Amino acid sequence: MITQMHVKGLMFDPYNNAYIVVLRDEEQSDMLPIWVGKSEAGAISISLENVTPPRPMTHDFMKSFLDAYNAKVISVVITDLAEHTYFSKIHLMYEDSEYTVDARPSDAIALALRSNAPVFANNSVITKQSSEELEQWLENLKPEDFGKLDS
Amino acid sequence: MSAVDLSKEQDLVEYRVDRILEEANTDTRIVVLARKDGVLDTFPIWVGAAEGNAIKLALDTMITPRPMSHDLIKSFAEHLNITIQRVVIADVKSSTYYAIVHIANKGVERTIDARPSDAISLALRAPCPIYITQDVLNRRSTTNLDAWLAKLESKDIGAPEVQET
Repeated sequence: MITQMHVKGLMFDPYNNAYIVVLRDEEQSDMLPIWVGKSEAGAISISLENVTPPRPMTHDFMKSFLDAYNAKVISVVITDLAEHTYFSKIHLMYEDSEYTVDARPSDAIALALRSNAPVFANNSVITKQSSEELEQWLENLKPEDFGKLDS
Repeated sequence: MSAVDLSKEQDLVEYRVDRILEEANTDTRIVVLARKDGVLDTFPIWVGAAEGNAIKLALDTMITPRPMSHDLIKSFAEHLNITIQRVVIADVKSSTYYAIVHIANKGVERTIDARPSDAISLALRAPCPIYITQDVLNRRSTTNLDAWLAKLESKDIGAPEVQET
């Protein structure tokens, strides 16, 4: 079973000096925080804020690469969580065939946002996550931590 | 060389990535390209830290536990049978270099506009040759070179081998 998730925003995690991409489901009942590096967060935030950079950023280039031969990103699925690392798959449609490509969630999400493709998460990942450190994180979260990226 | 009888291919000079220089207190890296044929000429390109690191990983043939962004692009190419043919640093405007990535699939060629950092990062992974057009080589500004030298000297990295074409 998979659940569609929406990219709600980015937060800075000062304890790990990293960023957290916050995914939530439609009902806002489940949340999936994904820790990413600074440049990965930048690639996602630029897309969330609808900023058009003067030169194509890496994921814009990635999209052009797929567009060149009409390959389409159908969806992105966060498939697994193992030892604090999330795994994801990008599903492509190209000439009536579907291809599944392994990717880091940060790349997958940055590309999905640029391709208007839906992001899903395996329910097992959502469950797993909720049993990990998430609870203590949520306790410490303040609304202002979300900054202007929270929509 | 006379410009008149140069074919399109002869207008391209092949370079390789020689090294990546770090600028300690900035978020900047310098990608130093050197001529593939051994003629003494280096071509510096300033890139961001993340972009420089992506190139360094490929230059050092580091295998990361998870695919980095340009590994993913290469993976797309492999899945879709797209050949990454070459990258060309083809233009310079206001001190910004413009690259073109040439790809092919079933005999159909396409070109993609890219930042040189993405183009080089992908070229090292493909792998495919990196070219600079003679036009860009002719037009590279000496102010760039001067700035580069000044920075290098200030950090006492040692005398770089730089000569103009």
